[in-house]
Amino acid sequence: MNAILEIKGLRKQFGGVTALSGVDLTIHDGEILGVVGPNGSGKTTLFNVVTGVHKPTAGTVRWKGQDITGIPANRISRNGIGYTFQQAMAFPGLSVLENVQIATEHSSASAREDFAWPTPMSLLEFVGIPGLAGEKAGILPFGSLRLLGLALALATRPSLLLLDEPAAGLNDRETASLVGLVQQFPAHGISVCVIDHDMKLMQMLCKRLIVLDFGSKIADGPTADVLHDPKVLEVYLGGEL
Amino acid sequence: MITSFSSLRSLVPVLIVLALLALVPLMGPSNRFLSLAISAGINIIALYGLSVLFGQTGILSMGHAALVGVGAYTAALLARDFDIGFWFSIPVAGIMAAVVAAVIGIPSLRVSGHHFVIMTFAFGQLLTIVLTNGGEYTGAASGLDMSKPVTLLGSDIGDLQNFYLLVIAFVTISAVASWAIINSSYGRTLRAIRENEKLAAAIGINVGRHKIGAFVVSGVFAGVSGVLLAYFLRHISPGQFASFPSIYLALMVMIGGARLLLGPLAGGILVSFLPEVLNLDPVQSRILYGVCLIAVILFLPNGLIAGLADGWSKLMGASRRRAVTASAVSEAGQ
Repeated sequence: MNAILEIKGLRKQFGGVTALSGVDLTIHDGEILGVVGPNGSGKTTLFNVVTGVHKPTAGTVRWKGQDITGIPANRISRNGIGYTFQQAMAFPGLSVLENVQIATEHSSASAREDFAWPTPMSLLEFVGIPGLAGEKAGILPFGSLRLLGLALALATRPSLLLLDEPAAGLNDRETASLVGLVQQFPAHGISVCVIDHDMKLMQMLCKRLIVLDFGSKIADGPTADVLHDPKVLEVYLGGEL
Repeated sequence: MITSFSSLRSLVPVLIVLALLALVPLMGPSNRFLSLAISAGINIIALYGLSVLFGQTGILSMGHAALVGVGAYTAALLARDFDIGFWFSIPVAGIMAAVVAAVIGIPSLRVSGHHFVIMTFAFGQLLTIVLTNGGEYTGAASGLDMSKPVTLLGSDIGDLQNFYLLVIAFVTISAVASWAIINSSYGRTLRAIRENEKLAAAIGINVGRHKIGAFVVSGVFAGVSGVLLAYFLRHISPGQFASFPSIYLALMVMIGGARLLLGPLAGGILVSFLPEVLNLDPVQSRILYGVCLIAVILFLPNGLIAGLADGWSKLMGASRRRAVTASAVSEAGQ
């Protein structure tokens, strides 16, 4: 498998606090990679540095061979890295359809002409909320808002999607349908990197798992192996699964 | 792409109102009424620019009169030093005000919210100071005279009635331009920034560049409004573009409502005519404006027009519900 995103020695300090202390990480083409770790272990910071929200203190991020370290958020998106936020968000005062239209209009369409969901409506149908197209995004129930967030990220025609706790706040049924959606992405040429606490979700989604603790990577490998790694059980799961 | 039935529906009422206003001279209005209406119209042109900036992008400028001033001084200087008349001054002043907006916007829009409001206010004051200290070139505190009349096809059209119709024409162009921007994909992009900057950046929008762009666009409207003001008043001075006129512009756009196309029209007319109708002196009218602003912010946060539209649809909804209940009751009775 080809590496599409290569992170080397990534450090991020906020004043005296070290959020990431030299993380190495590779995402391969067509995989669904999981990143787990306790609160404050640096998972969201990792995403924020990759997506240009924060500039890293040291280290490099290479995307398909090109150095993209520290470039602004809007250019990351145009390069084909889409992402969703931990807090589900949309443009609340605009209609659901208008939300997706905006995202579609700003995708770098030239990069991916073969994209599976070329129109705003086809995206809404894919995530399962076409009936809400005319509603204001601000009145959506939480589960639908998450799905809209996913549609917005997809509308930028990414080759890699970073999902930050996509199932937080969803009930079991909603989580199951989300898993169903995410599992289809690799077949459409979209690799996925997902952050979550929910081990059941991670086991369903990811073949490979990375564990962060205090800003360092402490495990990286097939999901089953990582979940039985004594070091992981110790720091993350409190000694037992 | 921009013309659909629902978007045309927002333009038609504005065009109808403007068509009716164009008929006003036929009713033999007083000169006093006409000059007030002309001032209101000149403000409304700038307000349509503010509706793009504030209504669509969510950025409030408290120094907008300064950009109107750039337009007015450009027109006066072009007439005095280059013998350039009204029609050619319009594009030049529009561009000048846009350039100044960019110069102000590039450093100011790095900050947002209240900080930007303060920056625009400071730049507005700065322009007044520059104009006051400009010596003979800007006429210092006493300002400049407009040396040329407005001509169309070689004849002077500077009398009040003609000037009124000229202003109505420019208001119409501004309203249509503002409408076209609001209903384009560019307008959608600006609304996305207003709603959520972080998400806008995440889907590939260059937030900073578009905010400056919206400020520049609003500058063009302000510049054009300034040319009309210079040709109408025949004399301009720095005080006309200081803080109070800026606050009035912001007040008008807030009272009328910035998001709907009728808003600037309603705000401009209301704020200009209210003291006249109620026969208030300047101090009283300032107090009234303050009270109005507080009332609008508390009760009609999207402005008068949006408030009226909401009230109307609630009323219709309530009467429809009553009708449904009544028919349900009568069916149950049968």
